[in-house]
Amino acid sequence: MLIVNDVSKIYRTKQRLGWFKSEWQENIAVNNLSFKVEPGQIVGLLGINGAGKTTTIKMCSTLLEPSSGTIFVDGMDIVKNDKKVKSIVNMIAGGERMLYWKLTAKENLRYFGSLYGLKEAELDHRITSLLREVGLDIKSNIPVEQFSKGMKQRLQIARGLINNPKYLFLDEPTLGLDASIAKHLRNYVKELAKEKGKAIILTSHYMKEVEELCDEVLIIDKGSLVMQDKPERLTNLFFKENTLKITVSEIPDSLHTKLNNEISQNKGTWQIQSTDDDEYDLIIKSEKDMTNSIVSLLAYHNLRILNIVSEKPSLEDVILLMSERTSA
Amino acid sequence: MFSVIKATFVRNTIAMYRAYPWSFFLGHILTGVYTVLFAYFTYTYVFKGSLDPRFKIYAGSNDYLSYVILGGALYSFAVSTLMNVSRSLITEYREGTLEGLLISPFSRKGYFIGNVTQQIMRTSLEFIIIVTFGLIFGLDLSKINIFGAILIWVLSIFSFFCQALFLGSIMLYFRDTYISQNTLFFIMSFVSGVTFPVAYLPDWIKPLSYIMPLFPSLTMFRSVVIEGQLISLHINDVIHLLVLSITYLFIGSISIKHMEKRIIEQHY
Repeated sequence: MLIVNDVSKIYRTKQRLGWFKSEWQENIAVNNLSFKVEPGQIVGLLGINGAGKTTTIKMCSTLLEPSSGTIFVDGMDIVKNDKKVKSIVNMIAGGERMLYWKLTAKENLRYFGSLYGLKEAELDHRITSLLREVGLDIKSNIPVEQFSKGMKQRLQIARGLINNPKYLFLDEPTLGLDASIAKHLRNYVKELAKEKGKAIILTSHYMKEVEELCDEVLIIDKGSLVMQDKPERLTNLFFKENTLKITVSEIPDSLHTKLNNEISQNKGTWQIQSTDDDEYDLIIKSEKDMTNSIVSLLAYHNLRILNIVSEKPSLEDVILLMSERTSA
Repeated sequence: MFSVIKATFVRNTIAMYRAYPWSFFLGHILTGVYTVLFAYFTYTYVFKGSLDPRFKIYAGSNDYLSYVILGGALYSFAVSTLMNVSRSLITEYREGTLEGLLISPFSRKGYFIGNVTQQIMRTSLEFIIIVTFGLIFGLDLSKINIFGAILIWVLSIFSFFCQALFLGSIMLYFRDTYISQNTLFFIMSFVSGVTFPVAYLPDWIKPLSYIMPLFPSLTMFRSVVIEGQLISLHINDVIHLLVLSITYLFIGSISIKHMEKRIIEQHY
């Protein structure tokens, strides 16, 4: 288990005030953060830019030392037992870093595997299976500089798994990838957690990715933990209402009373907006999903339904709302 | 540690082969060759083969061409070793691979030894070519103490390696390679006795000579190669070189680890 206990990280940076004048400034990137991640669990770290997500990941992966607090990985302190912790963790970052462009995919994995002290036979076996798993087996002897962005990202994933880590930290892993490749990667990440029992911490700007993958989400603001829960419970906590928008060609006045009764019974509100195409949008907001009852009512009155959109609040709405509250 | 040495050696060899054409290798050799040619032409046509009488006293020999050719060859060797080992971590930083390296439980010793071993393979070839070229222009190896020369060469590699660790941490601190290395190389070429004995320098500059491993290294190398002397006659120079090496190794090992952390923190 990964246990982050009351961890803070303060960066000291030199601020130039002139040619010969400068002063040190302290920036609290992470502030008394505590959480746990168990094997097989995917935990998302969310927050607006500068929230401290990457710093948290770098501390958990031993790249940075906490200014205060402790981080334990399988009972080992990451500062005191850094070598042992390094052998069971790894990090995959978005973009095209962490690879030697002059080397081929196979040579990259062989080099990184050697840094973990893997024996030749084990390394050969792992390289072959990882390249197959990320779909680069037929491109394994091509220098990375000739790879597309998606191929580099897939190789990054193989690199991040070369030591068969128990704990994997993913920092924007699908940044700038095509939708299909990103989807493939998401499935693979899910498989790593659910079938191979790896504990995964994920940061991403794509909220749908976080909603799809994460068992639990931590929302961080200015380095402090503000919320921690399952994705759907977080959205329910902030947004009570679903929005249903039905486009119809007409809504006779005689229907207004029936609509009002039906929606009021469900403690909802409604309004009609005319569109530029001489059509009408019936917009209903209610805690309960009213799609079935309203569609039945409209169909009973022989109204032609042109379009139906049911909008449920997403994690993105939660983050946007929190961001607005923070800046207000 | 051995697997990291081997892996780093192989990685650098492949990367060098793919990244740099033959002209890069030739460029390194040409620097040494120019030194040989410059020494030959100035000595033969400008000074007409006449030397300042103090030269023999200061250099311990009146074979100026051998003096300069060996100076140029060992200087090129020192520069190549210093440059490539010291730049290794800042190059990882610039190429975006430093985090991938630091997140692993890699052996730092293995990593740097792998770098220096690969470097030695290349620079030794350059050194041999420069010395061979020097033979045409007056380098006299007739009295060479070959075992002594090899031993000093090995000690010199160790000292340049230790100095490179220190230089590497300076490069990481300033995130600069060009100014740091070229300033050092300029001072090294001037105060280490590459083309003239250190005794010609004004007294206030001489302390700089004593902190450059190239100075005792060159003094001993010339003595065993030109005069065929035994190393036992240069115990003070051996101690000088070892003290410098251990000092640079100690400061370099501590500071480079500190700088690794600093550069990751500044890149948050």
